Amino acid sequence: MTLSATLLLASALFCTGIYGLLTRRQTVGILLSVELMANAANVVFVSFGAARGGTSGQLFAVFSLAITVAEVAVGLALMILLYKSFGDTRVDLASEMKQ
Amino acid sequence: MTSVAFGVVAALTLLTALLVVRVTNLVRATLWLGASLLSTAGIYAMLGASFLAGAQVMLYVGGVVTLMIFGVMTTRRHEGLAAEAESTNTGRATAVSLALFVLLAWAIHGTPGLDVPATNGVGASPEALGRALLVDHVLAFEAASVLLLAAILGAAVIARRRDPGVEVPKPGSRAASMPHAAAEAP
Amino acid sequence: MNALVHGALYGVVIVLCLLTTVAFGVWFERKFAGRMQSRLGPTRVGPYGLLQSFADIIKLLQKEDIIPADADGSLFTLAPVLAALCALGAAAVVPFSPTVIASDLDIGVVWVLAVGGLMVIPTFAAGWSSNNKFALLGGMRAVAQSVSYGVPLVLAVLVPVILSGTMRISGIVAWQTSHHWVAVWPVIPGLPAFGLYMLAMLAESNRIPFDIPEAESELVAGVTTEYTGAKFSLFYLSEYVHTLVGSAVASALFLGGWDGPFAPGLHWMALKTLTLFALVYWVRWSLLRFRSDQLMDLCWRRLTPLGVALVLASAAWVQFAPGAH
Repeated sequence: MTLSATLLLASALFCTGIYGLLTRRQTVGILLSVELMANAANVVFVSFGAARGGTSGQLFAVFSLAITVAEVAVGLALMILLYKSFGDTRVDLASEMKQ
Repeated sequence: MTSVAFGVVAALTLLTALLVVRVTNLVRATLWLGASLLSTAGIYAMLGASFLAGAQVMLYVGGVVTLMIFGVMTTRRHEGLAAEAESTNTGRATAVSLALFVLLAWAIHGTPGLDVPATNGVGASPEALGRALLVDHVLAFEAASVLLLAAILGAAVIARRRDPGVEVPKPGSRAASMPHAAAEAP
Repeated sequence: MNALVHGALYGVVIVLCLLTTVAFGVWFERKFAGRMQSRLGPTRVGPYGLLQSFADIIKLLQKEDIIPADADGSLFTLAPVLAALCALGAAAVVPFSPTVIASDLDIGVVWVLAVGGLMVIPTFAAGWSSNNKFALLGGMRAVAQSVSYGVPLVLAVLVPVILSGTMRISGIVAWQTSHHWVAVWPVIPGLPAFGLYMLAMLAESNRIPFDIPEAESELVAGVTTEYTGAKFSLFYLSEYVHTLVGSAVASALFLGGWDGPFAPGLHWMALKTLTLFALVYWVRWSLLRFRSDQLMDLCWRRLTPLGVALVLASAAWVQFAPGAH
């Protein structure tokens, strides 16, 4: 179990999140993929923290956790607003400014 | 022994993450995300970040997954969950994510000094972490709590129930310029 | 490796003891409730009806296992298993005696809160996968209640953590042996924190007066409406186990655990846990249930500010009281 192994895992998780972000059409699907990406970033923080010692890695991860939770809450509120406006939560519905 | 355990948990994390992005039923996808986050908590525990593992389970699985499930339940009908139209750009998405992964792997491989054992450093006890949060970085801590407060209030304001005809929409807002859209939503 | 074997062995023993206690606990509840209602309770199966629970288990296990037609099969089956696992898992860090503890985690308190919080998922999964409007309604209410009452629960549990300076539950018990029990002294954060914990624990395990999600007279059986046989017994079991483990955690955190005036050990822990368990039944058979909005009002407008005030009070106590640490 080396540091590079954990970093590779984090990269794989991140790329999986990117795949989901690009593929999903529902807002919840996109939020799930963003969660995966944020989780991958946390794994990177914690891995470096564990490898180097000290509290910085976990500290960053704690703040990142708090911020991600806040972002999810706001994202879901926006999704509910989207649902109230269009009746469905597909993101390509919010395209009324296109001509 | 720990390498085998790490391999198993890492494989589990990755597998459940792949299921999150591939499964069409959104409720199941959310639960697979819960499983992926749980496995990540296991990885944190193996890396010695025990408090973070506990916080991850409490906040992510107990909080975020619940939120998302509520979100799915209130906006999707039960029968319509599996009838998601297939996305048209899976090929390009796969190419992009694979390319990014190759790039990141190459960067990791090329960086010297990364082959140290993952638990090389001295683990941070919960006490040390608490001290770091509340004594060394108290400003960032308070700023984070203000951010959370703003997020709570913002989410509550954004998603609150608006009775049609009772509230006057603010000039310049969406509801003011297109009142028919708000009334038309089924 | 040694810790793993130790944990597994003690874990199995603890789980078996908990399950047996729950089996006799159900008998005790029915007898207790019967006597409170001027009737006898179970008397036929075994002496004084002691084997009633085992007869009930056999009856439930041999019933037909029905999965509703449009139900989400795998979620439907997974939910009761997960519920039982979460309920039992929290007991892994509780010190039942100075030497009996399955896993003396550094972050024992966080483990209990996390595993208890995980209960939300199987409750929701049961309500959603049953494809039944009553179950879904019960599930949504249960999730809202569980998540809301998690906040006063965390705040109440923070009080012994702050007073003793550690999150290791055996450490909190050890602190209580050298100082006073948290619920006894200091009276001001200690006793209200104990009361707050008991209320929040009742709400988390969906016991009356907080059992809106399973309100028998309103929602059929709430979340567990469509469940039959073995799966239903797992849900039923997980509710009792959750209450029992919650009482054990309360005894460890607030009542001094295995500490006692003379001969400290497992018996004191058992006595305290079972007393709290009986107290839960007493409340269950005496009170009416709260309405959903009364429940939420109680949580957010009264219990959460109280919890915050208690945390502040305990921090002030640690800072200013002489010889507090």
